[in-house]
Amino acid sequence: MRQGDKIALISLVAGFTVWSVGFVALYGLQALGCAYGWPTHRAVLILAYGILVAVLAVPAFWPLRSDGEASATLSVAALWANRAALGAGVLVFLPVTFTSTCV
Amino acid sequence: MLAGAAVLTALVLALLTMAYLRPHRLAGVTAGQWIVGGGLILPIPILMLLTGTALVLGEQLLPRGEVAYRAEARAEQWAWRFSYPDVPGLPVSETLHIPAGEPVDIAVTSADVIHAFWVPRLGGKIDAIPGHRNVIRLQADEPGIYRGICAEFCGPGHETMQFRVEAHDLETFKSMMAGAAP
Amino acid sequence: MTEPAVVSPVRLHKELDAIWRTPPGWGRLSSVNHTVLGKRFMVLALTFFAIGGLLSMLIRAQLATPESGFLEPALYNQIFTMHGVVMMFLFAIPMFEGFAIYMLPKMLGARDMAFPRLTAYGFWCYLFGGMILIAALLFGAAPNGGWFMYTPLSSRPYSPGINADVWLLGITFVEISAVTAAIEILVSILKLRAPGMSLTRMPIIAWYMLVTSGMMVLGFPPLILGSILLELERAFNLPFFDPTRGGDPLLWQHLFWLFGHPEVYIIFLPAAGALSTIIPVFAQRPILGYRAIIAAIVALGFLSFGLWVHHMFMVGIPHMALAFFSAASALVAIPTAVQIFAWIGTLASGRPRWDIPMLYVIGFFVVFVIGGMTGVMLAMVPFNTQAHDSYFVVAHLHYVLVGGFVFPMLAALYHWLPHITGRQSVYRLSVPAFWLIFIGFNMTFFLMHLTGLMGMPRRISSYPSNWGWDWLNLLSSVGGFVLTIGFAMVLADILMQLRFGERFGRDPWKAQTLEWATATPPPSYAFASIPHIESRADQIDPAALGSRLAGGEGYLGFARANRQETLAVDMVTGAVEHVVVLPRRTLLPLWTALATGAFFLCLLFRLYALAPLALLGTLGLFLLWPGSLGETADQGPLPIGRGQSAPLDAEASNNVTVLASRTALVTNATLYSSLLFGGLFLLVVAPNWSSAPETAVSWAMLLAGVGAAAVGGVAALVGDRNNSGGRAPGPALWMTVAAQIAAMVLLGATAFLLADPTQHARIAIVFAVLAYCALHAGIGAVLSGATLFRLARGHVSQNRGTAPRIVALWNGFAAATAVAGAALIAVLDTAGAVA
Ligand code: HEM
Ligand SMILES: [Cu+2]
Ligand SMILES: [Cu+2]
Repeated sequence: MRQGDKIALISLVAGFTVWSVGFVALYGLQALGCAYGWPTHRAVLILAYGILVAVLAVPAFWPLRSDGEASATLSVAALWANRAALGAGVLVFLPVTFTSTCV
Repeated sequence: MLAGAAVLTALVLALLTMAYLRPHRLAGVTAGQWIVGGGLILPIPILMLLTGTALVLGEQLLPRGEVAYRAEARAEQWAWRFSYPDVPGLPVSETLHIPAGEPVDIAVTSADVIHAFWVPRLGGKIDAIPGHRNVIRLQADEPGIYRGICAEFCGPGHETMQFRVEAHDLETFKSMMAGAAP
Repeated sequence: MTEPAVVSPVRLHKELDAIWRTPPGWGRLSSVNHTVLGKRFMVLALTFFAIGGLLSMLIRAQLATPESGFLEPALYNQIFTMHGVVMMFLFAIPMFEGFAIYMLPKMLGARDMAFPRLTAYGFWCYLFGGMILIAALLFGAAPNGGWFMYTPLSSRPYSPGINADVWLLGITFVEISAVTAAIEILVSILKLRAPGMSLTRMPIIAWYMLVTSGMMVLGFPPLILGSILLELERAFNLPFFDPTRGGDPLLWQHLFWLFGHPEVYIIFLPAAGALSTIIPVFAQRPILGYRAIIAAIVALGFLSFGLWVHHMFMVGIPHMALAFFSAASALVAIPTAVQIFAWIGTLASGRPRWDIPMLYVIGFFVVFVIGGMTGVMLAMVPFNTQAHDSYFVVAHLHYVLVGGFVFPMLAALYHWLPHITGRQSVYRLSVPAFWLIFIGFNMTFFLMHLTGLMGMPRRISSYPSNWGWDWLNLLSSVGGFVLTIGFAMVLADILMQLRFGERFGRDPWKAQTLEWATATPPPSYAFASIPHIESRADQIDPAALGSRLAGGEGYLGFARANRQETLAVDMVTGAVEHVVVLPRRTLLPLWTALATGAFFLCLLFRLYALAPLALLGTLGLFLLWPGSLGETADQGPLPIGRGQSAPLDAEASNNVTVLASRTALVTNATLYSSLLFGGLFLLVVAPNWSSAPETAVSWAMLLAGVGAAAVGGVAALVGDRNNSGGRAPGPALWMTVAAQIAAMVLLGATAFLLADPTQHARIAIVFAVLAYCALHAGIGAVLSGATLFRLARGHVSQNRGTAPRIVALWNGFAAATAVAGAALIAVLDTAGAVA
């Protein structure tokens, strides 16, 4: 497989892979904070949320690159998928800012 | 919510019908418009609004802070036992007594398998899980008798695992808790 | 070597068929052919659908009237549980597998799936596992704890009988076929396509199947792990889920739904793929938004793993966590909406015409959109607290599953049955059958929304008559019978088609995908020669192409050396890579599946002394599989027709076997991560974790074991490196064998010397982790030994390096699991309990 094709294929799932890792991390932090009674629980969560969104923004605004027909089409689909991942990241974890952490 | 869902369903089906019966009306719609319009612009605001409202509402229903009245519900195959931590002397019974018009926190536990505490007309339900203690806050606006059922399958007696909730006016309830029979 | 001579189409057919054919009579049992096995899968799945439907009729008969005495509660519980189990595990998933196995190679331009014997093995596992479940039903010992089998109800104290074991073992047995099929589908899509068919020229359905199989690779392991742990608890009293001994029933719920929610999308996506194939045919234009659909299904695949807790909104999880899952559940509607509008747009901008498949497509739209709406409602926590576990949920789940799977599959049935039978539909029964199904379905299930909102919980065998549910339930039951009559008419319709349908030439629907380029019914080898694809593969002219392929104009248009040959391509671009030589018919899969079945039966009947024998038998049979496959000398590039040549798969470094091994390790890693997650989960959440006694881990022995596993892993990597560099791999492989045997012994001994694992979940988890690592070290030694054997037989050379590559992958993985396992044990052993 050529390098460009490999990148196109990986970037198709890049955003959502980050999203999944972030999901596990945030859910884990939420549970750990409650279990150990962290005083700065919400601050930690909001910080993690910020980092996650920042990381998700990278593939969502990655410039399109392609060599060849297949990777051209793939990278358009990948761009859309990564923007969807960014949107999903912003919306799904927005509740860290206002919902109650441990009740 | 029901009405909104009905309208959306009708919209989708109307577009589908149009595609067959009046295709020229829709012929001008481009691929991008279909996908961005129908797939993104239509659902996203609706879903955000709905989820936001639900979350705010959910926050308000949480059993946060202290309330004046508390009860314990302990499930076992296949019966419910209710007691009142503030009135330790009261015998454990299969009927839950609550004051009407007041929020009550009910701590739900289980002695064996998972059950679920559900009083349909008072809204909400919560699982009774062995080893866990879950609290649900309920309020009966009117005095009366409310029917409760077990909502989580718990073996061959599941459907028989019903209980009664009696909501009394505050005076009666207080005198009951003081030891007098209602 | 020169290219074999061109022969006449008829002669070509005869020569190829002689190689690929499944013989009649008993020889049928040896079939490994995708057309044959795909049909077997689908027929068996339909049989289970009939059984599941029969059970649902019993349910509806019971619930038609209040205080019904038709079925007693104990029997009713078996019946509704088995209805759910049969429909989900024995109908929906295998139906998809059969459909994919039959269809994919023909749509992608290959002659078979990548691992024909694995297809057969999966089929036998499915058949035997299903038989265990049905036999249990006939003997009145079927599972009775609901299809999601919550503990502690399904633990030994509350389910002392064999019923729960039937679920755990029977389903795990069947799931072997799901996992093997998933790996095979994934690899086949990525590698076995017609030359020129880049990923983005694939018909869109292949993308759906690709995402689905990826989801299965990651989604099934949590369930399998959960089943293993629960069976260990039931059989050997290891308290993973027992709240009094440091376990937690919620662990089961997490593991189950971590599988269970993606499962619903695993069922829906292939059906959506079928719709995306059928709708363009009847709209007479290509699908709209090909790239947007790819993005949407990728999004759907991932999002569907972030929803599982919406089945657990009532278990007492904090509101913030519920909010994540609630938001993700609402969001998943968006990629679905993208697809719905892509389909409507395709119809609106094409020249739509009518036929029976379209009738079911419209039925799908109506039913599925309603199901989607109630799904969004249920995703809202406050509404869910009311509707959860009520008949509203039963209504919703059937709108989604029947709307999202059964209606599309009926459309697919009418669309593709002519391909299977070579005959066209007779029509007379088709239209009334549709209306009976459509009306019957809505009558049955729409009313359940109402009974649910009126407070009727699910899974009750009777209800008093004064609660106002009587009429609605009666009407639901009547609807159910109307629905069943509809299904019976579809069955009659199929039989009519088989008997009286008219024969046709190629491509009766004027479809533009490759499967219609085969003869119908398809020959055993599918394509007499393999096409070169120069445009999107859902925009070709199969009728014209088909006759050229039959004449041998494409690739591999000849029979060579009595071998089953097809082509493998570059994953992305579709450039020719190598020739795949597929194994021919054999009884090995059947024997192996029988041995596997014997293992499961030993466990089921608690014959623990015999179980290891059956397991060794299974392993031994698997070791026979490579057998004489592969070459004992390098062949170099062979002609493949059209003036080109390509090497054999044995001489290619990135062949399907290596890719499948990598995929299998991903599955395995997911299983292991679920186990590690389970340990951490219990540490943080379990009610009685702090009461744990000492684990008594012997750290010296454990670290020695990890060290040995690491040496084994490194040695295997060196062996592979040496082999591909032209040096002898033998010494390093011997080293691997020795090191991994040492690791197995040391890790096994550490597990053996632990404090009694039945005391507490902490010890039980440590025990399970050690046992897992020891097992992997042992298998690493066996694989390495088997490779040494193949080396001695001349099957391995610098160019033919598949076997050492797999040994390196496995042993590297085994070493990594040992290290991760030791880390988890350290955490569990030292970190104090919470609160
Ligand atoms: C053929 C028409 C069908 C009818 C009349 C029907 C009827 C029912 C009823 C009445 C229940 C509720 C049982 C109870 O809670 O006591 C139920 C449960 C269920 N059904 Fe169906 N069903 C049908 C088809 C299907 C199909 C096609 C699927 C899946 C592909 C399916 C999957 C399920 C599942 C998973 C449950 C939950 C079982 C449980 O609670 O453990 N059903 N069905
Ligand atoms: Cu119960
Ligand atoms: Cu129950």
